[in-house]
Amino acid sequence: MANDLVLPTRRSGATRLWLPAVLRDPWLALLLALAALNLAWAATGTAPAAVQALWHWWPALLRGLAMNIQISVLAMALGTLAGLVVGAVSLSPSPLLRRLTRAYVLLFRNAPILVLVYFTTYVFPFELALGGWRLPFPDWLKVVIGLGLPASANVAEIFRGAIQSIPSAQWEAAQSLAFRRAQIFRMIVLPQCLRRMLPSWMNLYASITMSTSLASLVGVHDLVDAATVASNTVSRTDFTILVYFTLLALFFAYCYPIARWTRYLERRHEHY
Amino acid sequence: MFESALQAWVGFFKPLGLNYGFVLDAGELSAFGRGLWVTLQLCAWTIPVSLLFGVLIAAGLTSGRAWLARPLQAFVEVTRNTPTLVQLYCAFLVLNMLITQKLGGGSPIAPFAWVVIVVALHKGVFHAEALRAGIEAVPEVTMEAARSLAFSRRQILTQVQLPLAVRFALPALVNNLVDLVKMTAIASAIAVGDVTYESIMIWSYRDNVLELLLLILMYFGLLTWLVGLVGKWLEERLRMPGYGQ
Amino acid sequence: MSIIEFEARAAAFPSAAETSLVSLHDVHLAFGQTEVLKGIDVEVKQGQAVSIIGPSGSGKSTILRCMTGLLRPQRGRIQVGGVRVDALKTASELIALRKRVGFVFQQYNLFPHLSVLENLTISPIKVGGLPRAEAEARARELLAKVRMEHKQNAYPGELSGGQQQRVAIARALALRPELILFDEVTSALDPEMVGEVLTVIRELVQDGLTCVLVTHEMRFAEEISDVVYFTEAGRIVESGPPARLFGAPASERTRAFLQRAVGATPLRDAAPDPIQTYLHIDPLRLAV
Repeated sequence: MANDLVLPTRRSGATRLWLPAVLRDPWLALLLALAALNLAWAATGTAPAAVQALWHWWPALLRGLAMNIQISVLAMALGTLAGLVVGAVSLSPSPLLRRLTRAYVLLFRNAPILVLVYFTTYVFPFELALGGWRLPFPDWLKVVIGLGLPASANVAEIFRGAIQSIPSAQWEAAQSLAFRRAQIFRMIVLPQCLRRMLPSWMNLYASITMSTSLASLVGVHDLVDAATVASNTVSRTDFTILVYFTLLALFFAYCYPIARWTRYLERRHEHY
Repeated sequence: MFESALQAWVGFFKPLGLNYGFVLDAGELSAFGRGLWVTLQLCAWTIPVSLLFGVLIAAGLTSGRAWLARPLQAFVEVTRNTPTLVQLYCAFLVLNMLITQKLGGGSPIAPFAWVVIVVALHKGVFHAEALRAGIEAVPEVTMEAARSLAFSRRQILTQVQLPLAVRFALPALVNNLVDLVKMTAIASAIAVGDVTYESIMIWSYRDNVLELLLLILMYFGLLTWLVGLVGKWLEERLRMPGYGQ
Repeated sequence: MSIIEFEARAAAFPSAAETSLVSLHDVHLAFGQTEVLKGIDVEVKQGQAVSIIGPSGSGKSTILRCMTGLLRPQRGRIQVGGVRVDALKTASELIALRKRVGFVFQQYNLFPHLSVLENLTISPIKVGGLPRAEAEARARELLAKVRMEHKQNAYPGELSGGQQQRVAIARALALRPELILFDEVTSALDPEMVGEVLTVIRELVQDGLTCVLVTHEMRFAEEISDVVYFTEAGRIVESGPPARLFGAPASERTRAFLQRAVGATPLRDAAPDPIQTYLHIDPLRLAV
């Protein structure tokens, strides 16, 4: 029965500049303001010493960020492939396989990521001998594997959750339309699953990207390492403050848009 | 007695290729024991402090006062989108250094305290999100019922909103606490003597990385299992029979 | 206007000498741009049972919420028990009002984390300042009245809709209000549970409690009410004793609504067709 109660009140009066939501974001305004400030300093040559040092170190910092992004993309790719396999196996009718995958997921979700990174870095050899070839096994690749393992465990869980969230009524409806199990999976269940998985998957990617900062603790030349080196080289208090907050800002600049896009996708696919 | 147990331990693992010889060295064993104790202390401090921060941040975010909610929202965004390690560095290497300079040597905040503050703030933000979702999940009609029963605003908050919000947010809060326990390993990055740091010291001397990592994994597994257990017990205690049907 | 109709009208609009517990005068309420109440006049005497009927969206529930201060009108006068509700400003004044007015919702709205007994005792203890033992004794008395005393330790989630609604009624009575408002309390119930709730309300009316009901249960409204108001599109279209409103409604819109609401069968014998009466035509005979 319609209960005539609280109808939404429209805020009267306030006119809003018509800009798409992206451009109205205060963080973007802050970024543009900082960029403008830097341009002004460059144009007039009045930049403080710390800022000039930062400009000097900027390419090194960006190279470090590229390393972080490289690690995160590869770790996520590896984790997604492995995770989809593990997730599919976890739905198998065999109780043994289900138990194995449960143990896998439990192990890699309960282990601190730092410990896993130490594990892959120190336990794996520093070069691989395959046949007659000796391939160097770079540290960053070990970190990729170290991050790929918990990523795969999380992807497996996300995948399993997505499959199980499809109401059984849809399976029944599809079966009554004479579809075979593989067809149902391919045409009805999988597309919906992928849509449902997307926000969690992107959250995971953001979290993996932030975990790549741990690579600096095992000697990989990433952004954190670059910042530390810069700070120790220049050895000025104001520069140290500036470079560490720039470090914060660079990670933020990469991860925040991802988080915003994820929220946008979540809202768009709410009704699925 | 203890000695012979340790000997048995070393002897058991040797044929498997695992070298636990360090337990026979008094200095290294006690260092490892200290590490276990420090990690436990880190967890014991960070869990309640993070919950406190979570409640405060959630209260600020839902207070409806823009001068409080907006800066908090900015803080929440920054904390959620930057690595904890970097936050720890900013706090310890930058803020601590500034404090030391201002006070002319010797910051009153120890590295242990910095780890607790940074990790508690980081996880407090996630707690606040969970609590806010819990508060918003309390149906408006239940609040209306409370108002019609002549409750004051504070009574509605304490008798109806908070009990229900905590029950709704409990699974998410327990998940956050499990993550928090794992995050304390980061303390090793600023030389706080937790189990990870002590292990690094030992393995850089003895080169038994795998053995120590296995011990660490088991220890963290135990701690996260305990947190999960307490979470399940709380969920049982606060159960609302028949709810949601 | 015949003398009977005149007296009926007078009964519906009491003179100043009789105790009027609730009076709404020219109440206007709008949500943003949408006007929900467009000039409402309602009068409820002490001890009366008043029903408000009408199509969905006509503002019935809004009227109830205005009486207890849950919504505030833009214009008009609302008086409940001598208090000008529309002029109340502070939270403590509203709280004082709500101690005297009970409200029962369509969706029961019991607190799911408290047992039935705790649901009933929480307001007397926290708001009324009663000691726990006395609050519990009073609660058990009320539960006996609604025939739910055997479920005092159950949780709302374990009860059926009808049971929850009966507990909600008992909860609204816990602070011993002077007036009790029912907002479509049976609309969300399965048909077989409606009867048990209506029985409770009937007994309350018979006990002399002042009640205002918003309801779609036309037969029930006709049975227990002293006055019935028909609202449509935010205005009171017609009001009067149930015999007249249901039997011989003055307004065409009332008639149309009643026909839709109760099916084609009128509750009472409709006013006889004037042509039939005049020409003494018996329709059955004509069919031959």
